Amino acid sequence: MLTAAAQERAPSARRPAAWLALAAAVLAAPAVLPPFYVYLGALVLVMGLLAASLNLVLGYGGLYQFHHGVFYGVGAYALALTITRLGWPAWVGILVAPLAAAAAGWAIGVFCVRLTRLYFGMLQISLGSLLWAVALRWYPVTGGDNGIHGIPLPAPLHTLSGAYVFIAVTTGLAFGALWCIVRSPFGATLQAIRDNPQRCQVVGIDVRAHQLLAIVLAAGFAGLAGALYVVLERSVFPTMLFWVLSLEIFVMCLLGGWFTFSGPLVGAALIVVLRAFAGRHTEYWTLILGTILILLIFFMPEGIMGFVGERLRLRASGGAAARRGVAGPDAVGGPARDVTADAGGAAGSGTGRGAPAPAADDAGGAEGARG
Amino acid sequence: MGQVRRGLVLAVAAGTALAVAVAAAGVAGPAPRLERNIKVGIVDTYSGPPAVFGNDALNGFKLALADINREGVLGAKIEFVTRDERFSPEIGLSMARELVLQERVDLLVGTINSATALAISAFAREQRMPFIVWISKSEAITGAKGHRYVFSTGENTAMAGKALAEALAKKGYTRYWLGAEDYEYGHAITNSFWRFTKRVKPDATLAGQTWWRLGEIDLVPYLTQIMQARPEVVFFGTGGAGMANVLRTMRVLGFAARVPAAIHTAIDHAVLRPLGPNAPEGVFGTIDYLFYYPESPANQAFVRAFQAAYGGPPGFPAFHGYITAHFIAEAYRKARTLDREKFIDALEGLRIATPVGPVEMRPCDHQAVLPLFFGVTKKTPQFEFLVASDIVTIPGPEVMPTCDDIRRARGQ
Amino acid sequence: MDLTALTSQLLVGLSRAMILFIVSAGLSFVLGVLRVPNVFHGSLYMLGAFVAWTVATRLGEGPGSLWVALLLAPLVVAAVGLVIERTLLARLYQREHLMLILFTFGVMLVLNDLVKLAWGPDYRSVVPPPALQGAVVVAGVAVPRYNLFLLAVGPAVAAALWVFTHRTRVGKIARAAAVDREMVAVLGIDVSRVFALAFLVGCYLAGLGGALVAPTTSITLGMDHTIIIEAFLIVTIGGLGNIWGALVGSLLFGITQSVGLLVWPQFAIVFPYLAVVLVLLVRPTGLLRSVW
Repeated sequence: MLTAAAQERAPSARRPAAWLALAAAVLAAPAVLPPFYVYLGALVLVMGLLAASLNLVLGYGGLYQFHHGVFYGVGAYALALTITRLGWPAWVGILVAPLAAAAAGWAIGVFCVRLTRLYFGMLQISLGSLLWAVALRWYPVTGGDNGIHGIPLPAPLHTLSGAYVFIAVTTGLAFGALWCIVRSPFGATLQAIRDNPQRCQVVGIDVRAHQLLAIVLAAGFAGLAGALYVVLERSVFPTMLFWVLSLEIFVMCLLGGWFTFSGPLVGAALIVVLRAFAGRHTEYWTLILGTILILLIFFMPEGIMGFVGERLRLRASGGAAARRGVAGPDAVGGPARDVTADAGGAAGSGTGRGAPAPAADDAGGAEGARG
Repeated sequence: MGQVRRGLVLAVAAGTALAVAVAAAGVAGPAPRLERNIKVGIVDTYSGPPAVFGNDALNGFKLALADINREGVLGAKIEFVTRDERFSPEIGLSMARELVLQERVDLLVGTINSATALAISAFAREQRMPFIVWISKSEAITGAKGHRYVFSTGENTAMAGKALAEALAKKGYTRYWLGAEDYEYGHAITNSFWRFTKRVKPDATLAGQTWWRLGEIDLVPYLTQIMQARPEVVFFGTGGAGMANVLRTMRVLGFAARVPAAIHTAIDHAVLRPLGPNAPEGVFGTIDYLFYYPESPANQAFVRAFQAAYGGPPGFPAFHGYITAHFIAEAYRKARTLDREKFIDALEGLRIATPVGPVEMRPCDHQAVLPLFFGVTKKTPQFEFLVASDIVTIPGPEVMPTCDDIRRARGQ
Repeated sequence: MDLTALTSQLLVGLSRAMILFIVSAGLSFVLGVLRVPNVFHGSLYMLGAFVAWTVATRLGEGPGSLWVALLLAPLVVAAVGLVIERTLLARLYQREHLMLILFTFGVMLVLNDLVKLAWGPDYRSVVPPPALQGAVVVAGVAVPRYNLFLLAVGPAVAAALWVFTHRTRVGKIARAAAVDREMVAVLGIDVSRVFALAFLVGCYLAGLGGALVAPTTSITLGMDHTIIIEAFLIVTIGGLGNIWGALVGSLLFGITQSVGLLVWPQFAIVFPYLAVVLVLLVRPTGLLRSVW
């Protein structure tokens, strides 16, 4: 843990400049890139935020959040309905969306946290499917199967570049907030619960309350992502609440690496971009996605960012053992590493780290002995 | 009989009008040449079960393009790119955006999915991009949600409901039962059927209604319930795989022998062929295209060419694809420019010759005025599957909701 | 709500429950013995239906063609399952469940497109054997003979499963492995072969479910989506890994679905989900004892 803390301090001085440069690059995109790439960029940010919000409960919380798409859908419908049915200003709707999704997260989470693992996941799918059925069947309000289209937005958001800038700034702030949550004492407790719920229970942590709060927060961020999707596409569909989309978000987290902060964003970017370009050349896109998924599980079980982080750490420790960590993680872009450092530090690097809660239950005894 | 004769008169009149129009265009001087090829962006479902329809429409479109490009459109050709929306409106909308922003297509065409069609329609309106819907049957597309930039070259639930309502009313039924699959299309077509039935036959009564969930495996209890209630006629609101299920169960129960039943597209060979001898005889159906009727030279030529190219007869989506290509080509010939607004002006009220006779793009709602064929399923020695017999042609103008209906639906 | 409607709804609920039971029993067995939440179980069900179609149509009109299909299709599916297990899945048993879910999801995506490559997107349909065509009237309700056949097959499969797990050596070992696989391994039994066999049985049941459903419905791509989510919900409310739980869950699921349609047709799709929610709130690990 000491070395992890040391790694932390060293690059932080260089960070603000790097972040500013990154922010400037992201915001300058509409001026340089062709419109379609601006659109893709916005979509990547929206899906990235959605995947990152799932990762708060999945990667950091170790919960079987199987139906995260519901909160995304609730956020999107909340914005769409406040504009089209209530006639409220879009700005109000954008604030209402995460709140509505968080409320849905609380209503679903309060029941789910009483269960564990697959039971948790299946109860969530059932409860989420009830909301999906409402979106699908309550025709007079939600537009049923057809959804709601051509949702009017105020002038600054009406152009693609306007929508992009708004999405970039909002997701930037949201990522910052997520980062703070992960780094807060609450985040640390959440990860401790993931790694060993029994031990946390024994030392007096209210496991369920922490998990519920994580679900509510994650749902809120997912709802925000849903609202941003509406800002970008001006449409909502009931399929946003269907379990298939939830599995896709899951894949994004895995692909990028669910024990890293930036992993979900990277995974979302890969899926969105691959889908946009593979879709042009083949109708067998799911064959490609399935093959990637299988290969990944065999050869890169910690996802891309997990893999890259691991490689860089290995190289750094092999080269200059004394100063390890200073060069490596810095190059990856800081956020990637420290969670792995935390989790890895707790569970013993390499072997135990791949396992959040589920394996922790099985291997609880062994891990307890090791710690 | 009167209907057929009127159709003939219309056809002759239309043919003459077309000839005059072409002659007039010839007189107007040398045609200008387009500066580049016309690029059509197609978003449709090419994976999953609905791919049957998506591929059929695309084949019809390609067949027409082969002819059109041989002579060219004002010296240019029509090119196209396709995108697979995988029956998902999110993906469809994203693909449409890519086609417009990146591929820079001149117009969009698609799709079987009503939700996708409506989503792309809203996007097309905002982009001022022409969008021609060719399979999706939602009446909202050219009805309540219609606008300047969206067109439809296929029949919709309003037209089908009206045609079936009139055909059944003529048979003198008064006690109706409604049975439908509980999803968007089931509701839309059933509502439309009942709305028009009450309009054309005010003394019609509703004996009862039955709804079942989409993808219901076993329909026996529902159909038994209806048989026991003994209404004079049943209208079923279902399509695709659900329709195949209804037909199979009807055969198992000997349904049609006891209660007459009507379903839009029940006489579609895409539905009847996979069922083979398993389909029931005596079911009423409507459809806007049959490859074996009318036995006109135009239709036979189209079917021969299609069969030679793709090894099977064209279905209704192929017909939609075929006429969509011709509408596009004719509209550009008339507009004489790639300008989108002029293309739309040219497409409004455009009348083209098709395998089923002349078809007009109605200016008030941008809906192609298609005749519908009403028939009853029957075994024949000619085919291995059931086909429609006793076919009656219901002329396009009779099946269309009025322009006043459209204005009301749009809240104008 | 009249009595005939209720009776016929109950009958349809029951015959649907039999298909659901056969499929979810396979899922539950794999879940119990191997601890693998097999998401591509639904794809195997779909594959079973397509193979049954191919066999039945290749054999042509003969009265026995569907019987041959019912025998052959599950075997083909089981063989496909075994290949996947031996080549890929067997290397992943040490991974956590989330990884296994994602892996099997990946296989599901691949299998779906392979089925599409092999059979194309058209709807298919199979004729029941002549002896099972038509309907008989039971208590004023017309019931197709094929549904009565399904009502007989379901209990037969349940009985066969009971004999397998309680009266055969491998079956007993599989049951023991479900409870404590380390202990079984310590006893010197080759757990890997038990796993392979258990997976084979699970896949066989998926294929059997698909072949049995073939004559009652349109065989289409996408039929895996509906069944897999239902099967997972069923094994959850039944108790993970408990095949009798799968039976109870299937009955509950099939009947709530059918009767729900009489009560509130517009929102009938929510009834099974509601049933799952209620069961899990009252009994958080399912109705019967879970091996998890």
